[in-house]
Amino acid sequence: MVASDSRVTVVTGGGSGIGRATAIRLARRGDAVCVCDLSEAGLSETAALIQSEGGAVLTGIVDVRDHAQVRAWIAEILARFGRINCLFSNAGVNARSIVADMALAQWSLLIDTHVTGTFNFCQAVLRGMVEQRAGSIVITSSDFAIVGVPNAANYCAAKTALYSLTKSLALEFASYGIRVNAIGPGPIDTPLLRAGRTPEEYSNARAAFETRLPIKRLGRPEEVAAVVDFLLGERASFITGQLLQPNGGQVMW
Amino acid sequence: MGVAESNEHHGRVAVITGGSGAIGTATIERLRNTGVVVHVLDIQPSKVPGVYFHRVDVRSEPEVDAAFDAIGKSAGRIDYLVCCAGIYRPVPFLDLLLEQWQETLQVNLTGYFLCCRAALRFMRPQKFGRIVLFSSMVARTGGAHVAHYAASKGGILGLARSLAVESAAENIRVNTVSPVITDTPMPRAVLSDEEMESRKARIPLGRIGTVDDMAEACMFLLSDDSSYVLGHDLRVNGGSTLW
Repeated sequence: MVASDSRVTVVTGGGSGIGRATAIRLARRGDAVCVCDLSEAGLSETAALIQSEGGAVLTGIVDVRDHAQVRAWIAEILARFGRINCLFSNAGVNARSIVADMALAQWSLLIDTHVTGTFNFCQAVLRGMVEQRAGSIVITSSDFAIVGVPNAANYCAAKTALYSLTKSLALEFASYGIRVNAIGPGPIDTPLLRAGRTPEEYSNARAAFETRLPIKRLGRPEEVAAVVDFLLGERASFITGQLLQPNGGQVMW
Repeated sequence: MGVAESNEHHGRVAVITGGSGAIGTATIERLRNTGVVVHVLDIQPSKVPGVYFHRVDVRSEPEVDAAFDAIGKSAGRIDYLVCCAGIYRPVPFLDLLLEQWQETLQVNLTGYFLCCRAALRFMRPQKFGRIVLFSSMVARTGGAHVAHYAASKGGILGLARSLAVESAAENIRVNTVSPVITDTPMPRAVLSDEEMESRKARIPLGRIGTVDDMAEACMFLLSDDSSYVLGHDLRVNGGSTLW
């Protein structure tokens, strides 16, 4: 059981990268962390890392695109803990292609996972947050909500939709004391940055980032986790509807 | 208090301009409570005990340079710079005198330039620095009777981003905080209680900003929690401007 004053926090896409680093950080600060992912192996590793430090964690293999699955898992969390205080909606995938060659499946995978997945989770947790008249949500958008890049129209469209969703939710739920913010990470050294790239392509991409970024290095997942922690908590109690960008100066907006 | 805020700040040296104002005072208290050695530059003495006060008009190049030289030499380093020295004197545009325009630009923008330049002379060689510049939501939205103020605050965003790009590789991070109307004597000097209430009604989170909201944002940007955040404008506005 968790202490009555602990927050109950849901993290999607917590099996690797930014989601994992955030789950670990929030568990360290005393949250009961409910982590989902599609990767059972990734989830187990995240859970083991949290438990090895004595943290409280509940895991679920959830396809965020599946409305019923999401509802069922949120119901399980509510049955177990009785409340949800925070949501970090972060699950994401990538499937690069130029638009001319993009299969509908590549388009739909990104829109369904990022946008519909986030809608599913937000709707499921907001009902309880409205009753509590408190809650905080952070959504992983991207610098690409502000600028476009080639070979990633599906990713850019999905991340821009998430930023729009963030702003609408912020306005819709502000009067209930619920805050909704987005993060716009720059290039972070995660499995997603490697996905769809050969080792050589990854190494070239990394070198290009390091040259181009003002800060001259990739970000670490822990650096994004610190920003999520800030936005979810009381330190940011007057911040809502914003996009906070841990991006090494990639896009200043 | 944040996990990572535990005591990374202890023993660091901070210079804060406009430190005697309301937001400045709240920020100084936070800094001092985390063990930072605080130097205040202002024309009014600080009411916070345990900080060093330097009477400086931030428009004056010799005064700013002399104060930073004295601080840098005695403390051996300057780690943080927080700029919040500013004036807010609404005037309808056609009544705005060139002298009023210049005074606002000089205090709010040129003052920031002079202090950033003076601080960077110490931060560059030590390969460490954190700079937080207070801008305003008005930099984006503009507003009636505040053309001069909005221009000065918009200029701060450009200054901060340029400095951020120029300094990032030397482990110096520069960011801005843009507050919405905050409950301090500055807006209260020109707005009636009814006007303050009507401003509040336009803020989705249903309240006016507090000096603590702004101090928290500033502390976040000074801390390692924001180690990958630079050139960012952190908008602390209760949801009133979402861009």
